[in-house]
Amino acid sequence: MKKYAANQITFLQFVFILHGSQVGTGIFALPRILAEKAGTDGWISVILAWCCNLIASVVIIKVFKKYPNDTLPDLLIRLFGKIVGRILILPIIVYFAFMVWNILIATMLYVKGWFLPMTPDYVVMILLIVPGYLVASKGARVLGRYSELVFYMTIWLFLILIFAIKDSHWIHLLPIVKEGWLPIFQGVAATIYPFLGFEILFVIYPFLQKKHLAVRGVVLANTITLAIHLGITLISFAFFSPDGITEYNEPVFNLLKVIEFHFIERFDMVFLALYLFVVTTCWLPYAFGAILSTEIWLGKKNSQAIAAILVVFIILLILLTHPSWNESNKWTQIINQAGIGFAYLFPFLLYIYVGIYNRFQRSESK
Amino acid sequence: MKRIYFVCLLLSLTVLPGCVDEVDIEDISLSLMVGIDLDEDNRLVISSSSPVFNKEAEEKEENTSVIAITPEQSEGEFDATITALSSRGKVQMLLIGKRVFQHKDWFNILDTIYRNGQNTTLSRVVLVDGAVEELMKFKPKDKPRLPVYLLKLIDTAHEQNLTVKTSLQELHRQFWEKGESPTVTELKKDGEVTITGTSILNRDGLYKLSLDLDETKWLRILQNETDGEFSFTIQLPEQPSSGLFQKNRMSFFPNATKVKVKTSFADDKFIFNYGIDMRIVVTERLFRYDIMKKEAELEKEIQKELEKKIEQLVKKVQRAKVDPFGLGLYARAYEYPHWKQVQDNWEDTFSKAEVHAKVKVKILSMGSTK
Repeated sequence: MKKYAANQITFLQFVFILHGSQVGTGIFALPRILAEKAGTDGWISVILAWCCNLIASVVIIKVFKKYPNDTLPDLLIRLFGKIVGRILILPIIVYFAFMVWNILIATMLYVKGWFLPMTPDYVVMILLIVPGYLVASKGARVLGRYSELVFYMTIWLFLILIFAIKDSHWIHLLPIVKEGWLPIFQGVAATIYPFLGFEILFVIYPFLQKKHLAVRGVVLANTITLAIHLGITLISFAFFSPDGITEYNEPVFNLLKVIEFHFIERFDMVFLALYLFVVTTCWLPYAFGAILSTEIWLGKKNSQAIAAILVVFIILLILLTHPSWNESNKWTQIINQAGIGFAYLFPFLLYIYVGIYNRFQRSESK
Repeated sequence: MKRIYFVCLLLSLTVLPGCVDEVDIEDISLSLMVGIDLDEDNRLVISSSSPVFNKEAEEKEENTSVIAITPEQSEGEFDATITALSSRGKVQMLLIGKRVFQHKDWFNILDTIYRNGQNTTLSRVVLVDGAVEELMKFKPKDKPRLPVYLLKLIDTAHEQNLTVKTSLQELHRQFWEKGESPTVTELKKDGEVTITGTSILNRDGLYKLSLDLDETKWLRILQNETDGEFSFTIQLPEQPSSGLFQKNRMSFFPNATKVKVKTSFADDKFIFNYGIDMRIVVTERLFRYDIMKKEAELEKEIQKELEKKIEQLVKKVQRAKVDPFGLGLYARAYEYPHWKQVQDNWEDTFSKAEVHAKVKVKILSMGSTK
């Protein structure tokens, strides 16, 4: 039975959902985190992280090749039965929902920090989340269309950063591999968060029309992300002094401040306002994942209501906790740890389990 | 069901208190120039100059000075005196008195500029030789309003490489960069406002020495910043000279300049070898000379003269224990193990380093007269 046939997405939509979920609020702090761990060699970590992402993505696709119409929650129920499966789905829902929460909180704090310092946090959040609700509650196809449209509309934003090159000192990058390879590997581990996003593959894979293009799509999506991350990292490293870059919380913001045109002086404001679109394509796939997983958990189709509950829940939580910068950073670190487990280790375990499970079943049927 | 959710969400928007951050432009006083200085009792004096957009006001500029503890705290004091809320999002110029540079770690007071996202970091930083407050109150009759005038003055002087243009962002880089000493524009009010060249600070932010306009050009070349226009007038001692109008002078501008630095380490010393390639166009020559026949000799003479100038500049800078060329960057890039040991006192190490320069001049054109 093709459960998701009515809501299939095209190859490009698949690529842009994956890519969109990778590029979000993480990039602003990325150069600083890399510089803290690996100095100016941090850009090598970016490339290594890209390789890790590709390997993990391909493993996920291999797992689902045998179950082309299953999302991860479906598969868990199939493999472990209704009760154990449902228990296993719970952490996945929590992971997706927490991701949504974390991205939204970071965005809200950015907006408050740069545009609306006096506006109450929940107001900013409502303004951010209500348009998103309309997309998130509509299913994979609308999400795919939205991600693709936003990509075409906003990709030029990253090219603007090239204007910062005129004040840069590329000599900062030399010598390459200053302190050996160990810091570079540490850099990979510390920067999981900005690279997370491909694990959305767990839930969007069954929606892809042409499954044989999945690997190609994953490579394309990850490579676009790599180009953006690598570009931003290299430009930041060349622009800021290696000794000074760690002084900035979000070096990319300070980089943006330098870019001015004759017709517009504070271009960073325009950039950040438009960047909110890019951020939506980051948290919407997760919201979609959380909603879909909850649907499967409940065994009922009612995405609108679940989406509404998620929205109300997040706003209530903000009213109760009023999150701060430091809290947001701590949550990011938790996500970072959870992400290593969920996106990088879990696919391998699942792959091994599915392999054993299949062999076991085959011998049983003989 | 769907409709109800949607309408509920829309309704929830109507009861919101709305954005609290709304400020009318009439209520903002855009500060275009901010001055930081110390008075006789070493109290911090912050001055601000903002344009007045009002037909009734006779003056075009609103100038205020307050004695403050920190720049951010001064903003409150400003709001108590000037017509509208002061905003620092458009500051074009930050004038800092020379007295400030005589105290270590003055850079800390600029913290708010980098911390508060609403401030711009593109303001040009200027050292004022004299009282900042006096300069800010200066109203030249034959020039546009002072902030606009100073801005043009600095920007065009920088295009001619007569001074550096250090934005606050760039200053932050120079202050944190271990291998480079900060450099800022130097300004003086002596009847007229004049750019006197470039001031060099050491890594603690203390004023160390000034380079005049001519030396600044060489500073720019040795920094490998060869954008903009250069124009040199030199004296060739081997040419005949007599009388009031010294005839052994010539002027030229480089059409293209290429700067290469070779870095090495030997005998506990860093050695930097500059290779400067210049293709020049002669624009003035007060002595008679047959370039067609004796081009190579003249080129050699010019080279010798230029190398001498560079040597003098390097000596002067090394004596003051500063590295405005940013040679520390090269030391890090090419001699990393040695650099790592000395990076925290690079300026001392640099004062002992050997810096050589080899200039290669090619006369591209002698102009339209022989």
